[in-house]
Amino acid sequence: MSVAVKLLVMFLVFASAAIAIFLAVAYSTHLPVSEQHDVQQHGYAIRGRWFLALVLFLIASFAASIPFYPYMSATAALAPARKVPVIAEQYAFIMPSRLPVDKPIIFEVTSRDVNHDFGIYNPQGHLIAQVQAMPDYTNYLRVIFHAPGQYTARCLEYCGVGHAIMAKTFTVGGK
Amino acid sequence: MLTSDNTSRRVMALYMGTGLALTALMMFAGLMLRASQAGWMPMSPGQFYAVLTLHGAVVIVALMLCGMGGLWFLMRRQTSLSAATTLITYACIAAGAVAVIAATLFGGFAGLYTFLAPLPFHGSWPYWSTGAFLVGMTLITIGWMAWCMQMLGAVLRAYGGALGALAWDFVWHRKAFDASGKPLPPPEAFPALMAGFDGMLAGMSAMLLGVALVVRWLDARVLINPLWAKNLTYFFAHTYANLIIYMLAALIYVGLPYATGRKYHTSTALVVGWWCSMLLTLTNYFHHLYMDFVQPGPFQYLGELSSYLSAVPVTVVTIFSALMLVWRSGMKWTLGAIFMYTGLIGWVVGGIGAEIDATVPFNVHLHNTLWVPAHFHTYLVGGCVLFAVGWVFLCLESRSMRRTGALLRWLIGLLTFGGMAVFLMGFYCAGAYGVPRRYAIEPPPGPELAKIASIGATVMIIGFALAFAEGVRLRFGYPDQEGDMRIEQGG
Repeated sequence: MSVAVKLLVMFLVFASAAIAIFLAVAYSTHLPVSEQHDVQQHGYAIRGRWFLALVLFLIASFAASIPFYPYMSATAALAPARKVPVIAEQYAFIMPSRLPVDKPIIFEVTSRDVNHDFGIYNPQGHLIAQVQAMPDYTNYLRVIFHAPGQYTARCLEYCGVGHAIMAKTFTVGGK
Repeated sequence: MLTSDNTSRRVMALYMGTGLALTALMMFAGLMLRASQAGWMPMSPGQFYAVLTLHGAVVIVALMLCGMGGLWFLMRRQTSLSAATTLITYACIAAGAVAVIAATLFGGFAGLYTFLAPLPFHGSWPYWSTGAFLVGMTLITIGWMAWCMQMLGAVLRAYGGALGALAWDFVWHRKAFDASGKPLPPPEAFPALMAGFDGMLAGMSAMLLGVALVVRWLDARVLINPLWAKNLTYFFAHTYANLIIYMLAALIYVGLPYATGRKYHTSTALVVGWWCSMLLTLTNYFHHLYMDFVQPGPFQYLGELSSYLSAVPVTVVTIFSALMLVWRSGMKWTLGAIFMYTGLIGWVVGGIGAEIDATVPFNVHLHNTLWVPAHFHTYLVGGCVLFAVGWVFLCLESRSMRRTGALLRWLIGLLTFGGMAVFLMGFYCAGAYGVPRRYAIEPPPGPELAKIASIGATVMIIGFALAFAEGVRLRFGYPDQEGDMRIEQGG
């Protein structure tokens, strides 16, 4: 199961929980009517706890996500790696057709014309890494391909009417 | 002081009527796009992207008009707002929309509604259509800024300047505030203040970018920094999208109390929540640039943190308060109440999808896949459109002598929300399988999911069409002698 499919499952769990709460509240309109003052008295107590729980959850999630940011640290940038230039242009990627397996690669991604996005799909079709390809700038993307096979780079930033055909297949591993 | 004079009603009807009519047309345009991706409606890539550009730009304008009209009506009841100024604003936006429609439908402009520089100048469409599109968007922005200025001025005048409109003393010097007898802004005044202030800032950045692009259009030697342009684009576009939601959410503050027969007061939590929303809305746009690794690092952290925290005021204050209003209220489930309440669900569910995408490590797998339109369609169609339609129905139901039968309410609900769920899940599943957004021809499993989504969208549109017919029936059920609008704060 790809990361994104796991995210879909997570989304469905959270969304179902939220919808269940809304349905329960909607159902309560069929119960005997309560005075607004009474509802507020109980509601404010729940709200205080909800506020605390939500803020703590969000801050913890933020802290937990930081180590997984894709941006290269200064140490990683200096570590030995194969530098691979990628030039994007309407509607092609200019880059090598074969790359090594299990070796750190730093893609140096730029564009000759408009904004593009260099999205890498593995042989199973999962989107495993991406970075924007911008004119006048070079973005550095560090990737290690652990599995050999046929990978595909697709443009993920709309770049004109040929956007959907802008793709490049490359082989990881082998001679 | 509550006024619901004929002028207010007509201005609101003009804005919301135009907004909803354009939204309906754009639903058909959106259906065409999905059907094309499904392989059911052949379109050339040029046609596909021109319609996509039209769809995105016009939906934003349409829902903005709904929010502007609704909020203007609410605030006109307690502040001094000129109908003439608002009509000029409307004319400006309408002229801009006509230019955008001409540029896309007749000129084939396909630089998308985000028109990321320098794409508008590198397209296969005629050069005049780029100019027409840019001038159109500039006119829309001028109209928007005029509305913001009018709203901001009215709110500041009515509540004693910036501190009064922010309810500063109400929060920090409560006893002195109570003793002063100064007016406390009602809940809907905070989205009005936010729309006025944040909207002005967003408008300024849009104008700055718009002028730069028009100059570039006139003189190809002019260079525009793409990162600068991207920041400005997403700052104004994201802020506009957020303000649309917040403006339409203001209708909840009046609509739900009417439907439930309960009161909605300004509280400290509500005020502080809106302060937070005003600030966070300006900083969470950075999440659109996570994959621009040249963006200064601190902005990426700020983007994730502020995107996360923007969920707090929404869910803790507005949504939670709305749930407390409904809880054991004995609310009658009229179509107005159903649409408005379901809009809250769309807002929350879309927000969950947005928060997942706003997490940097997850964004690597979701950025610019169909997950993005999945979440924003959830809170635009499943939230904003439902708030606007719900408000229209509450207004109709408050004056009509006719009532909607239970069977029809069930039928409309099932078709609209069932179809919407299928339509949206097509986007979410495709996003999870890495299908890129904005592809005229999608890789698998995109086309198969687009088929399912097209069926869902068709069912949803049938549901909305039935609701429209029922709305017309209710409208013809008004008593002979026209009375005042009955929707007032607290029922």
